[in-house]
This record gives sequence, C-alpha cells and structure tokens, in this order.
Amino acid sequence: MAQSRDEILQQVRQVLVDALGADDDEVTTEATLMGDLGAESIDFLDIVFRLEKAFDVKIPREELFPAENLMSDPEFVKDGKLTEKGLSEIKEKMPHTDLASFASDPDINKLGNLFTVGAIVNYLEAKLTTAGS
Amino acid sequence: MVEIMKFILIDKVIQLEAGKAIKTIKNVTLSEEYLADHFPSFPVLPGVLLLEGLIESASWLVRTTENFAHSMILLEQARNVKYKSFLPPGGQIEYSVEAKTVEENVSSFLGRGVSEGETIVEARFSLRHFNLAEQDPTMAAVDAEIIENMKNRWRLLKR
Amino acid sequence: MRWIWIDKFVEFESGKRAVAVKNVTLAEEHLHDHFPGFAVMPESLCIEAMAQTAGILVGEARKFEEKVILAKIKKAVFFDYVKPGDTLKLEAGIDSITAEAASTSGKITCDEKLIARIDLMFSHLDRNLGGKEFPEDNFVFTDIFKSLMRGVCFAEKN
Repeated sequence: MAQSRDEILQQVRQVLVDALGADDDEVTTEATLMGDLGAESIDFLDIVFRLEKAFDVKIPREELFPAENLMSDPEFVKDGKLTEKGLSEIKEKMPHTDLASFASDPDINKLGNLFTVGAIVNYLEAKLTTAGS
Repeated sequence: MVEIMKFILIDKVIQLEAGKAIKTIKNVTLSEEYLADHFPSFPVLPGVLLLEGLIESASWLVRTTENFAHSMILLEQARNVKYKSFLPPGGQIEYSVEAKTVEENVSSFLGRGVSEGETIVEARFSLRHFNLAEQDPTMAAVDAEIIENMKNRWRLLKR
Repeated sequence: MRWIWIDKFVEFESGKRAVAVKNVTLAEEHLHDHFPGFAVMPESLCIEAMAQTAGILVGEARKFEEKVILAKIKKAVFFDYVKPGDTLKLEAGIDSITAEAASTSGKITCDEKLIARIDLMFSHLDRNLGGKEFPEDNFVFTDIFKSLMRGVCFAEKN
C-alpha cells in the first residue's frame, strides 16, 4: 500500500524528533540535519536504522548520506570546493537532494546543507515506489 | 562520621545559579582504578561516568535549589546522550548543566561536558527527588542522615 | 573498582539476544557513597551493565574483530531503584547491525520487577575513525570479557 508524501513526511519527522531530541516544530521540510538539527555521524547511523524499521526497507547508508566518502577524494574535491567530477558524482549519488543552489557555490563546507528533512522524504518516496513495483 | 568518598564524579562546583544552571569540573587521572580496565593501553573516562558527572552536577543544582528537602535524587530518564570524543588522564572536563524545569519531585536538564574546547558529551536527562519516608515513615531518620551527609559533601565541593 | 558490571551470561543467541546477571552487594565500595546512609546502585552503572551485556552481544556477532564502543544512549528510563541483595537480570537484543554500528534495545529486571528500559547505539571504532588516534589491538574485548564468554552456552540457531 503506497504511502502519500505527507504520510512519509510525518513518519520521518517523528524519527528525527526521537533520534535527535529535536522539538517537533524545528523539524521542517527545509531544516538541515547537521546545521539546524545538530545531527552528527552517530546520529546519521541511528537515523538510518530507525528509518529502515519504520518503512520496512533496507537503506544502505551510502545511498542516503553518501557525501562523507566523497569529501576525502581528491578527484572530487579541490581547494575546498567540489570539482566538475565531484558535482556529477553528487548528482548521480544524491538525486534526492536539491542541487540547484549548491551547484552555484559548491563549497565543501556547505555540503551538509544538502541533507534536509525534505531530501530524506524524496529518497524514501523513490525507494518505496520501486519497492512496491 | 568520616566520609570516604570514592564514587564522586565531579571535583568542584565553579558556578551556580539557583534553579537555573550549574558548572562543575572533574579532573581525570591515571590513578582512577577503573581506567586500568577502560581500556588497557587506551585509558579514557567511561561514557557512563561522564553521564554520572552530569547527573551529579544537576543533583547539586536541585539540592541547593530545594534547600536539601529530599534525600534521594535519582536519574529518571536519559535521552540522546552522545559521546563525541574521548577524555584521557591528564584532562579536565567542565560540565555545564541548564535546568529546563525544576519542580518538587521532578526536574529536567540539558547538559554538556567540554574539555580543551572540545565537546566530549551531551545529554538530555530528568531526575526524580523524594524521601524514603514517603513510602515508609520509619525511614525518616535515614532520610535525615543522608541529607546531613550530602550537606557536608556540598561544603567540600563548593569551596 | 574493576570495570566489569555483569557477572555471567545465562542465555546467549549469537547475533540476536543475550541475558546476563549482576549481583549487587554491600561489598561494592561505591555503594557506600551513593548514598551515605542508604545504598542504591547508581543508574549510570546500571546503564554500563546493559552496555556490557549488549556490547559483548554485538562484539560476538562480528567475532570480536571490531572495537565496539558505546556511542549513544538513545534512551534509558528507570522505573525503580536497585539495592544490595538484589540480582539484576539484563536482557539485550540487537535491533540493527552493520559494519559500522549497531543498535540494541533491552531491559533490566529484578525478580520480575521492571527496573529499566535501555536502548543503545554502538560504534565500530575502526570504521568510524573521525580523526582520533588509538591503538591497533582490540583493547575493548579484554580478558575479563573473554572469560565471561567461556561460561556461555550458545542457543541453537533456528
């Protein structure tokens, strides 16, 4: 039974409230996990485990939050910014994120901003559709 | 009664704002016995003892705010306790605890421990406070003894 | 004070679930400070007992090759306190486990009375370096923990 985007959003918000101790009203669609909600490495793992249980899907961590491996590769990052190769790598690995504004200033310190609540919802919508078909 | 203090996970109170916040410090030294097991070849203060430092700090905030009204102050709940870095011997940690609510029998806090500019631990937790006599009136004398001992301990910690 | 907060395993289902026990006795020095006049096992040490039960379960699931350390206490809720003379039963189960981390849930009971519910996250140190330096050998699973495993009778895998 397919879940509506809104149903997915509500469940994702609950997962983030539990995993991060965030207040309900802080978890907006545009909220960034790292910047706004204070998520760190261990929290990303916690979030993935909880989402797997909540949505009964397998979520390879590199699929949802791939950027970490990317950041240490010299082919993808140069002088603190993503190279052309890096940008296309991100486009391929993270289709669930909003790359439009990031592409104009691919500052590596801003990579974390790609991980928003909305990005997680996008990822799950796509994942659940393929799982169902 | 001479108190032999061993299970105390803070050394000194450095700041106190009644009902609101407290800052304490703890030194970590190799002569702390559990370090030999945690871990051999890589001694670091165990995560639960970092939490204990936060719990003790918050407990003192409660005791002083309620003027030692209750003998028993225990952890009721801890959530999202994150261990972000290691604290080795030779280090010193400063615990900052902020009270979100302090009521008669319950209180809740946000705590953090920082060493050399690095956050070591962060936690959200609640305490519950009560007297044994509430369940068993014959325990009133025991409550009084505990409170007296804690008042003595406070004198040493806040010097 | 030795840093070992469980006494033995009474059930062990590799990769799934384990049950350990811990006796609480006045002979434990720290009880005299918590509190002077009325001894109660500190909740932080109850959490450690669960962390050791769950940590060994997680470590054994990956043949003790990973350095399994406590990274996050997701939630620890206490319903009652523990006194000298009590025997704690610590039950832990693995909810999720990958190469990088594991998530466990568990409860502590004493004579069928619920003492606490504790959910933890462990990190496999070598996979999550984070720029910190530490020794190569597995300093987490020392002889004490290995000796606890000697008494273990593995449950039949279904």
